[in-house]
Amino acid sequence: MHPATEKLVSDLKVKSFELDACDYAKRGYHFEIDLEANRLREFAQCLLDQELYLVFVGGLHVDPAIEIIYQFASYDRPFRLVLRVAVDSNNAIPTISDIYHGANWHERETRDFYGVNFIDHPNLIPLILAEEDVDLKPLLKKDDDLKASVAVRWVIEEEQPETDEKADKD
Amino acid sequence: METAQLNLEPATDIQSDSRYYLNMGPQHPSTHGVLRVLLEMDGEYIIDPQPVLGYGHRMQEKMAEHKNWMAFMPNTGRMDYAAALPYNHGYVALFERLCGIEVPERAEYIRVITSELNRIVSHHLWLGAFLLDLGAFTPILYTFVDREKVLDILEDVTGSRLTYCYFRVGGVCKDIDDKFVERTREFIKYQRERFDVYNKLVTGNIIFIKRAEGVGVISRDMALRYGVTGPVARGSGINYDVRKNEPYSVYSKFDFEVPLGQNGDSLDRYMVRLNEMEQSLRIIEQALDQLPEGPYLSKVPKKLKLPTGDSSFAVEAARGELTYYMVSGGGDIPYRLKIRVPSYSNLSILPELGQGILLSDMVAVMGSLDLVIPEIDR
Repeated sequence: MHPATEKLVSDLKVKSFELDACDYAKRGYHFEIDLEANRLREFAQCLLDQELYLVFVGGLHVDPAIEIIYQFASYDRPFRLVLRVAVDSNNAIPTISDIYHGANWHERETRDFYGVNFIDHPNLIPLILAEEDVDLKPLLKKDDDLKASVAVRWVIEEEQPETDEKADKD
Repeated sequence: METAQLNLEPATDIQSDSRYYLNMGPQHPSTHGVLRVLLEMDGEYIIDPQPVLGYGHRMQEKMAEHKNWMAFMPNTGRMDYAAALPYNHGYVALFERLCGIEVPERAEYIRVITSELNRIVSHHLWLGAFLLDLGAFTPILYTFVDREKVLDILEDVTGSRLTYCYFRVGGVCKDIDDKFVERTREFIKYQRERFDVYNKLVTGNIIFIKRAEGVGVISRDMALRYGVTGPVARGSGINYDVRKNEPYSVYSKFDFEVPLGQNGDSLDRYMVRLNEMEQSLRIIEQALDQLPEGPYLSKVPKKLKLPTGDSSFAVEAARGELTYYMVSGGGDIPYRLKIRVPSYSNLSILPELGQGILLSDMVAVMGSLDLVIPEIDR
């Protein structure tokens, strides 16, 4: 691991953000993390302070709640991080557009496609879609197609025997 | 009237007599496609430029969720029409990595050669159009002569001139022949001589320098906040090129440099792209010298089930970092495909970059960003 990456991971650990290392050869990114919405802004500020840039923000419609996917990367070394945050019961999530200014458009686009409300976004009007299509939400899945959040995640093979043992004990 | 509908500041807020709104586009020749920029002006100075997007929106991401992942291939060539091959490349490479498909070495070389030719074509187009925006009509005639030569070479092997669908999972759909190699070598020699013409015609021209120098300065901090990549970031001295940082295909085998600017102004972005063309020629030259024999397409099963999970693949397109992020729930149709296009983030910087500059400088700034609007709208 690159020394600067190591330092970044330990710096984030101090603030109790634990990154999970991923198999880059298979997935194409190095780390992943799932966060609660209330820690999102703090985390984004940490990443900006560590000089990571925002690759994209996108939505993912899964059961039980829409997940917002953020990807961050570094200009200086191979480092790619995927962050997933689920929206609350009102389809809302805090904005990071005042921290990462580039998120402004990405969040507007995600609102277009999924109807997610980014709280405190300065200008949450349609970006890609036309104004009359404000409630179209084209990327929401139909009930039959909707999958559970765990059904679109990687299956971690090493952990399976452990859960089996636990089940046996129970 | 239109501004009020957009929920932007209504016209009644304008205090001074010299303040007004100006629509640049959607059919303005220097917006390179259908982009509209709503400018709040004070005299000749811009107070607030707001790009209005979506005129060329096709919902590519929805289409990707509704067909077999191989059937989406032609769509990848229809986002960035000026440099479609890197878009082919990122898409096939994503699935190759995910499904563990081996690509013959010859195919990887062909991919690199054609992608770099495509990058040169894209920079030809940018060079001509950028100077046309600045009021210099002649350069586009020169660059289009050169561009035609490459397009002819690419047409011979890919079958199309613009919206390529040449790469396949496991290789490319048609092998290159001796004629291709010969013509490409001829082109390299020809293009090297043309750089002198460009430099005499443009680089040293005092009018051009006055128009581009110190205009639209992007700092590293700004680039970070907006996620700027590609030649626009490199013009600001950010040494970031996906081909070097996360080498894919066979790029790590070639010796090439990443041209960098210092000041981050329009002139630096011009110099970076001009130098990048020479670096692309170097890559092509080495690839032709080392071109291995062998198959150009490996055997791939007709039906390929995707493993459950998400994966990401980034390539260096002509305008910066292109990332495909795919989420799969099994089966052979992606559950979600997010396409991160470089021009999107590069244009999102405009409201900050364009504050307080002259309208004529706005044209120079937008030209130096090298925007392709259909890739932003997707």
